[in-house]
Amino acid sequence: MSYAYLFKYIIIGDTGVGKSCLLLQFTDKRFQPVHDLTIGVEFGARMITIDSKQIKLQIWDTAGQEAFRSITRSYYRGAAGALLVYDITRRETFNHLTTWLDDARQHSNSNMVIMLIGNKSDLESRREVKQEEGAAFAREHGLVFMETSAKTAANVEEAFINTAKEIYEKIQEGVFDINNEANGIKIGPQHSPTNPSLPGAGGSGGSQGSSCC
Amino acid sequence: MFNRLKSAVIGAVNGLESANGAIEGTHYNKTTLAPKFPYGRPHFLSLGDDEVQMSADHKLRPIIHPSKPLPHDTGYAECVNAGKSRWNEDQAVYRQGILSKATPNEDGSVQKFAIPYTYYGIFDGHAGVGAALCAAFQLHHIIHEKLVDAQDDIWVSFSKKNLPCKPRDLLIIGALESAFKEMDQLLSEDRNKYQAAGGCTALVALFILGKLYVANAGDSRAIICKNDKYSPMSMDFTPENERDRIRRLAQEQPSLLGNEFTAKEYIGSPKSGDLGKTVMFRDAYMKGWAYKTLQPEDLRVSVITGRGKRSRVMGTIGVTRGFGDHDLTAVYQKLPIKPFLSSHPEVQVHLLSAADDKEVLVMGTDGLWDVVDGHKAADIVAKSINAFEDKKFVSAATCLVGYARGSLNNSWMLKEGKPASCDDISVFVIPLLPYQVEYEELLKKCFLNETSETSSDENIETAK
Repeated sequence: MSYAYLFKYIIIGDTGVGKSCLLLQFTDKRFQPVHDLTIGVEFGARMITIDSKQIKLQIWDTAGQEAFRSITRSYYRGAAGALLVYDITRRETFNHLTTWLDDARQHSNSNMVIMLIGNKSDLESRREVKQEEGAAFAREHGLVFMETSAKTAANVEEAFINTAKEIYEKIQEGVFDINNEANGIKIGPQHSPTNPSLPGAGGSGGSQGSSCC
Repeated sequence: MFNRLKSAVIGAVNGLESANGAIEGTHYNKTTLAPKFPYGRPHFLSLGDDEVQMSADHKLRPIIHPSKPLPHDTGYAECVNAGKSRWNEDQAVYRQGILSKATPNEDGSVQKFAIPYTYYGIFDGHAGVGAALCAAFQLHHIIHEKLVDAQDDIWVSFSKKNLPCKPRDLLIIGALESAFKEMDQLLSEDRNKYQAAGGCTALVALFILGKLYVANAGDSRAIICKNDKYSPMSMDFTPENERDRIRRLAQEQPSLLGNEFTAKEYIGSPKSGDLGKTVMFRDAYMKGWAYKTLQPEDLRVSVITGRGKRSRVMGTIGVTRGFGDHDLTAVYQKLPIKPFLSSHPEVQVHLLSAADDKEVLVMGTDGLWDVVDGHKAADIVAKSINAFEDKKFVSAATCLVGYARGSLNNSWMLKEGKPASCDDISVFVIPLLPYQVEYEELLKKCFLNETSETSSDENIETAK
């Protein structure tokens, strides 16, 4: 299926905070209570619509375990958006956010949009991190913030889509150089600047099939 | 097995253009034929089209592993090259099969047997993706056929009937050897039917009846690791290691060398200015050196040049066994190279009876072994097995690939600061113990009612 833009995302955060479950809920609309430990990286993809444009999200779900840190770090490069996830029922996952953020800022491009996510909002009775604390952390570090539940799907769509909206706005403002793939953004085949005519407009040349991938 | 430059050179003269053409949808003259199999990653990774695209990111080189566990939690991981070819030209496969038969006895009862086996293969393609794909899709079918041909004798050898039969090892080694040959012939026959396939190496592990058989044709490598110790289960077939075979073949069939190459070796590199002088030489069968007067034909290029990873046959190919390459010619001289290549595997046998839960078979393409030696591999595997509670073997495979790939600064670097592997990297980490357990269960099932419980296997003579 053709798309106007492709955005590359990365999901990061401590092990067991629900990164893979968020991805599964977003791509497959289902919840898997016992999810296998992620090793290295796993992929997901989904099409969304923003401003009536088709946008493809290509999502890299990373392992939270320390043992894979050096491998997962290599995936920050070339991501347009990051979901930084902690678990509202485990204070230590919140305490580690600064380490994750430093890592992300150090290894990614400076324009990367980072969404802070407090996951497992369905487990209110076991909450250890107040919503205000998450919001304050996000304000302090210039992040977008949301609490989600991969189990009930609350705010999951919004988390992924709002991140995409931020990226889209940055593109409109000209902050992102969309011709540099290292920014984690690809222009869809029919929107290529070398071929600005609308799809099916039957322009001259006629080399429509020159997809970049 | 090629360095980047070399693969570019070979690609230019040989099917690489056509192979890329198949993928990019571009047609070159002569390549209107379709590929035999569509490009993809190994079946057990279950990657969709999107994920195949994502896996081929040369800047990120994501390490891919199976999303669903393989049998006995076998580990696998892979990553794409750093840009030497558009796609990952390695392929991998595993299959489980059963040799079974039901024979009616004279008294009306039915005698049945069922021998399970597990097969793993890795194939490192060059000059295109076709040959490795064909091997990954077809070799296990051929091996199965060969094993079926031998299954009655294999069963007799297993089931204490005291009937005369060939040693089981030789039956299984023979099945593997003949299957490798047939695979190569199949690629030859396919030449006029499908798009140019290039060539590939082949490394196969077969677990059957309490033993591991490793068949290797090429420069992929298998080792058994136990704690931080290792033992090789294959040798690399490179021009340097196969110097004797190739030079002797060249000496016996000088027409293969055209007027360009020589099977002789000389001390120093004689130049035209040395004509008429005395030089030291040896021919392909000589161990020592002798003297001769330098003639014009002594100035020809040696059929094998270079050392180690850079050794080449006719200045062209850096691996001497495998499948395909039927149309490969020397870079400048256009002489056919296939006569010097062999599809014949070396098969090593390992008895599993002493296996424990720390013992694994590591199979890797040269992308791994270019930067990781046996000690380092055993070290990484042992650490992973001890560090991870769960998914030990897939973690070990991921760590091996992660180490060999390194990280990208200006170029891909190992964590010690040396250059990392820029080749495609594919690794299996296979625990051995489950196959011993499976064998013991089979023994129990088959011989439960018999008085003597000793394994019939003890008196099977090993090959060699």
